[in-house]
Amino acid sequence: MKKDLLVLGFVILIVAVLLSGTKFQSVEDYYQTHIDDIKEDSETVTLSIRCDTVLEHWEQLSPQLQSDKYIPEDGVILPPTEYVLRPKDTVFDILNRAVRHSKIQMEFQGADDNVYNSVYIKGIHHLYEYSCGPLSGWMYKVNGEFPDYGCSRYKPEDKDVIEFVYTCDLGRDVGGEFEQ
Amino acid sequence: MDHFSSYHPSVLLVYYVIVLLLTMFTVHPVLLVCSLLGGILFFAATNPLKALGKNLIFYLFLFFLLALTNPIFNHRGETPLFFMNDNPVTLEAILYGAGVSVMLIGIMFWCKCYNQVMTSDKFVYLFGKAIPKLSLVLSMALRFIPVFKSQMKKISQVQKTMGLYTSDSLTDRVIGSIRTLSALLTWCLENSIETADSMKARGYGLKGRTNFSIFCFRMDDGILLAALGAFLCMSGVGYQQNVFEFYYYPSVSPIPTGAGAYLQYSIILVMMLFPSILEIKGRIQWKLLRAKI
Repeated sequence: MKKDLLVLGFVILIVAVLLSGTKFQSVEDYYQTHIDDIKEDSETVTLSIRCDTVLEHWEQLSPQLQSDKYIPEDGVILPPTEYVLRPKDTVFDILNRAVRHSKIQMEFQGADDNVYNSVYIKGIHHLYEYSCGPLSGWMYKVNGEFPDYGCSRYKPEDKDVIEFVYTCDLGRDVGGEFEQ
Repeated sequence: MDHFSSYHPSVLLVYYVIVLLLTMFTVHPVLLVCSLLGGILFFAATNPLKALGKNLIFYLFLFFLLALTNPIFNHRGETPLFFMNDNPVTLEAILYGAGVSVMLIGIMFWCKCYNQVMTSDKFVYLFGKAIPKLSLVLSMALRFIPVFKSQMKKISQVQKTMGLYTSDSLTDRVIGSIRTLSALLTWCLENSIETADSMKARGYGLKGRTNFSIFCFRMDDGILLAALGAFLCMSGVGYQQNVFEFYYYPSVSPIPTGAGAYLQYSIILVMMLFPSILEIKGRIQWKLLRAKI
């Protein structure tokens, strides 16, 4: 019996450690993020999220997403909006703050979970990688150029224009072709 | 016990393949529930009630485990219930987990009955000529778990008789079972080699060797095979009409309704319940006949 109690205590300890490392939030708490007000001297960047390539490849899109609810008619999920750039902000931080503020669904893979040491955006607004054909997924542009590394490693500067665009053809349809 | 399994092995194999494929390649809740119901009823009809109760408790536990594991790793879906470490736990992910665990448990119940219906002699009868080596390996592999279980019982009984691990402590018993397992693994390796050697010694798979089999293709088998063919055609039509189309993300789609869909569902239900109906009918008949004596 003594042994059983010891094992039971150990199991409870492990569960307690796991639970204490887990953060539980209600839906309202999660979406209540603070966005800094834009002042005259604050540094800002412009962020937009678009998926208009999907409209051209409508027949490839998974059937459950083929509605106005998930794909806006003009393909604009987030129109160009100015956000305050905090010191040490990465593109991912700005995106994360913006989607939480606008209550847009987003799922990402953390930087520790992949080989690129950078966050990978799996899906925005229920539009995921591979949702529109095998070569589809999210990419990002800064000032019209595609950086060749992940969005949590890119530190934008004042007045940068960040665009998240959905590609259906490995970047070729949004102008981000890989150079050989 | 053997009303369904008295059909010709080839018909049984076709039936099993259809049931398993139909269950595995869909996430449609009606189909999955039909399959689970069929599997559980067939298991209940061929096994004592006590075994059924034990299994049901275990699989209920497994069901909750699987249904709650999915939302931890899968964050799709448009109705977040709460957020865990900044990741949403969504209603859709929980429902998907429930659907998939129904599928898994349904398949497990069907496979539990598989060994009673398709015994290894039937399997070797079907494939022994065409692919002797593979069919031997397959029939041994499929028989593996039941043999494993009975041998495990034997080993632990021997250990008990010797007075080992008889204390009430749960931890002690777990440690004891680990030792049993290691003995079992060695026995298993040895046993499989012995079986293979023994089959070889009897000239299994040699050219010109004949073997006796008691199976013959009767009228009933033909009827069932034709019915299965008709069923497959009907399901094909159902797929064409998108009756079986169902998805969970980003929001759970409505279950297709209408006369065509209901017809499909009822056909699938009958097809899934067929073995258990046959079994129960046979039992009642047997009781009646005995009562007449």
